[in-house]
Amino acid sequence: MSDVFAADAEVGRDLAAVDWKRTPVGPPEGWPQSLRTAVSILLSSRFPMWMAWGPGLTFFCNAAYRRDTLGRKYPWALGRSASEVWAEIWADIGPRVQNVLDTGHATWDEDLLLFLERSGYPEESYHTFSYSPLRDDDGALVGMLCVVSEETDRVIAERRMATLRDLGSDPSVVRTEDEALAFAALQLEGNRRDLPFTVTYIFDENGRARRRSSTGLPPGHPVAPAILGDDHPWLTVAESRLVPLEGPGLPTGDWPKPPREALVVPLLRQGDAPYGFLVAALNRYRPADETYRGFIELIAGHLAAGIAGVRSYRAQQRRAEELAELDRAKTTFFSNISHEFRTPLTLIMGPLDELRTRLDSADPAILDELEVIHRNGLRLGKLVNALLDFARLEAGRMQARYEQVDLAATTAELAGVFRSAVERAGLAFEVDCPPLPEPVLVDRGMWEKVVLNLLSNALKFTFDGSIRVTVRAGRGEAVITVADSGIGIAPEAMPRLFERFHRIENVRARSNEGSGIGLAMVKELVGLHHGTVSAESTPGEGTTFTVRLPFGTAHLPPDAIVTPGEVAPVLAAARPFLQEADRWSPGSPPPGPRPAGRPGGDVADIVVADDNADMREYLTRLLCSAGHRVVAVGDGRQALDAVRTEAPDLVVSDVMMPRMTGLELVAALRGDSRTAGVPVLLLSARAGAEASIEGLDAGADDYLFKPFSAAELLARVRANVELARLRNHHARWRTALVDSLQEAFFICADDGAVIEINAAFTEITGYGPEGLPYAADHPWWPDPEIDPEAYAEVIVAFDVLMQHRQGRYTVPLVHRDGHRLWVAAAFNQVRDPESGRLVIVGTFRDVTDEHYAIQRETALASLSMRLSEADDLADALAGACDELRGLWQASYVLAAVFDGADPPALTVTDPEMTWENAPRQQLLSIRDRPMLTPVTEHTTGAGIALEHPRGTMVLWVGFGNQRPFTEQDQTLLALLAGHLGQSLRRVHQIDQQRETALALQRAILGPDQLPAGFAVRYEPATRPLKVGGDWFDTVPLPDGQIGLVVGDCVGHGLPAATVMGQLRSAFRALLLQDPSPARALSALDRFAALLPGASCATVFCGVLDPASGHLRYSAAGHPPPIIAHADGSTELLDQGRSRPIAIRPHEARPEATFDMPPRTTLLLYTDGLVERRRRPLTDGIDEATTAVRLGRRTPVEDLATEVMTRLAPEDGFDDDVALLLYRQPGPLELEFPAESSRLSAIRAALRGWLERCGVDPAISQNVLIAAGEACANAIEHGNRDHVGGLIRLRAAATADALRLIVTDSGRWRIPSPGDSPHRGRGIMLMRAFMSEVRITTGAAGTTIDMQTRIAT
Amino acid sequence: MTTALMLTTSRDSDGAPVLTAAGEIDMSNAETFAAALAAAVRPESRPLVVDLTAVEYLDSAGLAALFQHADRIEVVAGSLLTPLLTVSGLTDLTVVRGR
Repeated sequence: MSDVFAADAEVGRDLAAVDWKRTPVGPPEGWPQSLRTAVSILLSSRFPMWMAWGPGLTFFCNAAYRRDTLGRKYPWALGRSASEVWAEIWADIGPRVQNVLDTGHATWDEDLLLFLERSGYPEESYHTFSYSPLRDDDGALVGMLCVVSEETDRVIAERRMATLRDLGSDPSVVRTEDEALAFAALQLEGNRRDLPFTVTYIFDENGRARRRSSTGLPPGHPVAPAILGDDHPWLTVAESRLVPLEGPGLPTGDWPKPPREALVVPLLRQGDAPYGFLVAALNRYRPADETYRGFIELIAGHLAAGIAGVRSYRAQQRRAEELAELDRAKTTFFSNISHEFRTPLTLIMGPLDELRTRLDSADPAILDELEVIHRNGLRLGKLVNALLDFARLEAGRMQARYEQVDLAATTAELAGVFRSAVERAGLAFEVDCPPLPEPVLVDRGMWEKVVLNLLSNALKFTFDGSIRVTVRAGRGEAVITVADSGIGIAPEAMPRLFERFHRIENVRARSNEGSGIGLAMVKELVGLHHGTVSAESTPGEGTTFTVRLPFGTAHLPPDAIVTPGEVAPVLAAARPFLQEADRWSPGSPPPGPRPAGRPGGDVADIVVADDNADMREYLTRLLCSAGHRVVAVGDGRQALDAVRTEAPDLVVSDVMMPRMTGLELVAALRGDSRTAGVPVLLLSARAGAEASIEGLDAGADDYLFKPFSAAELLARVRANVELARLRNHHARWRTALVDSLQEAFFICADDGAVIEINAAFTEITGYGPEGLPYAADHPWWPDPEIDPEAYAEVIVAFDVLMQHRQGRYTVPLVHRDGHRLWVAAAFNQVRDPESGRLVIVGTFRDVTDEHYAIQRETALASLSMRLSEADDLADALAGACDELRGLWQASYVLAAVFDGADPPALTVTDPEMTWENAPRQQLLSIRDRPMLTPVTEHTTGAGIALEHPRGTMVLWVGFGNQRPFTEQDQTLLALLAGHLGQSLRRVHQIDQQRETALALQRAILGPDQLPAGFAVRYEPATRPLKVGGDWFDTVPLPDGQIGLVVGDCVGHGLPAATVMGQLRSAFRALLLQDPSPARALSALDRFAALLPGASCATVFCGVLDPASGHLRYSAAGHPPPIIAHADGSTELLDQGRSRPIAIRPHEARPEATFDMPPRTTLLLYTDGLVERRRRPLTDGIDEATTAVRLGRRTPVEDLATEVMTRLAPEDGFDDDVALLLYRQPGPLELEFPAESSRLSAIRAALRGWLERCGVDPAISQNVLIAAGEACANAIEHGNRDHVGGLIRLRAAATADALRLIVTDSGRWRIPSPGDSPHRGRGIMLMRAFMSEVRITTGAAGTTIDMQTRIAT
Repeated sequence: MTTALMLTTSRDSDGAPVLTAAGEIDMSNAETFAAALAAAVRPESRPLVVDLTAVEYLDSAGLAALFQHADRIEVVAGSLLTPLLTVSGLTDLTVVRGR
């Protein structure tokens, strides 16, 4: 091999193999020195370079260029003409090459797009490169040298990141799918390089794929039909895949030729079939690799999220519209039905008035009845009229006719008619209506309704104090108030006060009547007058309604204004209101009809008990003929049940009966407080005083001997019923009252037995009065075995019930049919006035729905909270499991993700649990079931399958106790699982986006392969960005020199980062071309002057010869680097300074030099490290200097951390920070085969390095011996098992110590006493000459780690 | 390739046998050194003078050869090797002197 190719074995061999005689440059022996030098530099460089030499532009390149750029053209290209090698791009680069050869000036190109055919197809690639002239021995231009760095990854990453960012930048609320798709299309249209064209198909309601948007395609292009046929190759469901594209006239995007493939990606929907899919034609000039596919899948993910958002928005809106429609239908219905009521009502009221006049002197009872009919007729009429008015108002059909009225007088008059009703109710009534200065126009009829409604309302809810009506003049308006001192309105009820059909529930009022439209109508009517009505209220103190009506006519339509007409008497309108109010007053007859089913007069409900069927029938017939209602039973037991079910007015019972005699029946009835008052008439065939006394003693009310006459029986029945009615009036009244309660009612005796209940109780619990008394533990309590937790809750509540005078509690109960329910109970202790015993009276309400709703809401809210705090998928899942475990008090919660791995990935709250001891059987079976369908396994747990971004996930709740997992629990589990699935998907998307973004950012920041001995830190100010405007760089230069660069672009965040990326690449290439800091910075000035945002960047550039420690440097407006010497003295590299970048770009820059003595530490940094508000920069620099000085004995990697920590402000850095640390000399790193012949060379290298470290010769010798022994041992012992292993030696220095590490890949053998006594001497020598020796033997090899001090 | 070492046998002014080594002695050439040592040592005659003044480096393999003949040799060494010979304990068995 010719010496000229010796610098690189491989490429050199291939170059040597070229038949040079056939090339214009001829055989290497005849090459001029200049060519030989150029070739040798080319080959020894680790940077991608190629050169062209001589008139034929003969092509040479080095190994790095072969690897990065030439690809399959190697070694074919060697020795050929450059124009042949790069035929496909010669049109681009030929002129540049020629220009260099003609002018001798270097060229510079950044991110030039070139289509290289290095991988078998034309590939889109970007290169930053310079062409420099080459001269022959006589100084004539004979060729050019090209230094290239490929920027393809960065350029494409930036482009894709921009598209993704644009996609996410929609600031507006998107309302329709078309809008969402159109916005996305607009963004995708902007990147026709990665997306030559795209088509989005969405499945319609019939499952057909319809084209909904496209980019890069002319309208109607045949490649994307409007509707896809069922067999179209694009139809895809499960996952993205590549499909070939064919057909003529395909759009080409930004490229010369059409795409050949497209990626079809489904638009995934949680728990359901995809919405549709995205077809993205692929750039044929780039491989369809994972990043490209990932990019398109992210776009599809974005589209799917957009559609999901829109659809949920639409669903909400549709629901709102449906509600509004329902509302309208309701109004129409009320309008129609009200109208229909009016005719019959008129026909009732007319004749009724007639009757009342004619029967003026009739029986007062008849007049009473007529009065009742009349009153209720009026009430019905008022209600119907109100509904009609309201319907007309709603429909806008009510035409107001405004006339000028004396509003004060009219209002006072209206109020006046209420005076007597108010005063009868015991309230003070104050009417204060002084004349108004200006006229107000109102519709008289409407105004009457407003005032009457407000007054009626005030009266209804006021029990003490007063009602006050005022009229005042306000600013341009009349202000009318109706104020009361009533019960007031709770703040939470205020917002709905004026809503129609809305009634405030559960408040004390004079009457429970009401339609809920009075105030709503007031509001509408006032609105027709362009006025307002408002209410202010304090609960317990009263309410004030304020109506404001504008003065004058300006606000009214002129054609609706009429001249004042005849004034109808107010009383007509007011009558229904007054009638109604009258019935609320204490002195008026009891309101409403008598309790239903409770016959008045002589008619009674009677239970007849007789075992003789004939007798039973006779009694029944007899009593029915007298108008009574009869329940006939065959014995005392049945009679008792009948009475307990519904207490009759009278029991007529035979004495002698099977199962339970009449006497026993009487005793049983009297023994039960609920039935103690029911009168009993005993019939007996046994005549005589004793029998009668026996019966009366037992508690019977009367005794009748058979045979008895019908008249006698009926007379006794009537007498007993009347007597009992008198006696039991209160009891009955109370029973009726209790039964009418909507809440469950119970009375509990002092022993805890429930002795009385009402109908609502039975309805809620399923337990009726027939089972009374119910002793504790009550049958509706939860089973202590099955559900000890709920049982314990009830026991606690029961104790409260028995121990306290009053209270409230909410407890779980079990319905008779077994279902769980929750009730909220309130109770009071009362002393029974008759027995004097303490009883507990309580009521409760079924709050099961509320309870579960609250539970669901709470669980959902806390799950959401946990999920929102999660940083990534794993975190979210762990948080969710933990949350669910807490919710169900489960012994553990497990999530298994079946992502194809075996075993599946587990997330468990119990750290002990593995796939081995998990309920595998159940998990696998649930996995194969439909999604989101909960499954309960009797005692072990409950599970559900849902979608995890990586596959099906099974969530399993392991039961911790005996508590049953009810249907509600299952619903809740399904709800939470659904929610979790969605959240996981969202978190996953964010994860993916973050990862992609990070990868893209790393591409900008550049690869960080640091030369040995350097440590760097980088902290961008703008999170979550990983890049900012600052940068650092180390640039390996020819002759082993290293370029050190630290720079700072103006600003931070993404804009600064993009400028930074360009400056960094540019400067790197400039420095390679001309390794002089000052000249490279000058070149950067010119470059930056053309780059928006680059001006005023500051840069420090140094070129270091690590062998000698010689540093040339120049600073462009950058703070000075810090030097800490081994002895602790410090200095700043503050020479070679001048203006920031691109300021006066044509002026030269200064350069300075500094020779780094051994073991000095150098810190390069950006101002973010040292700059603080309200503090001079020098303070920060002093602080950094101190940190480096104190850390000069620390390895640079640790020192970097120390400096960052020491200088970090309390709340973190607020500007980008980059720092770069180096200690002279850099560490020595050697790797060599385990052969003793290498030892000499290793020693020579180590000796040289120790000299550069400035180590005293005697210490040097000691170190050499220790190192030599370590290496010898590694060779001798470490590699006995396999020959040819490698040994690594690393030596690094700090200011006062050095550390030596020798690593081999074999097993160390501890010398045994039987070995030769000389063995082991090596270790002894190591220990003797180094202050610390640590030998670690592991499976991978042995490491000897030694340290010693080299200075004091 | 072994480490460079040159070995010369001669007699000193007193007629004692001398083995002069120059270069470096490590495990790659320790056998050569040991063989030369063994050949130069004469039993029952005067101790062999081993002159290591020109030896820049000596490791435990070389030491092993010296230890093997410790009672029949005298070692001449410069200051560079003195600490090693002391630490290794050779000075306890053998006369070690400067030139």
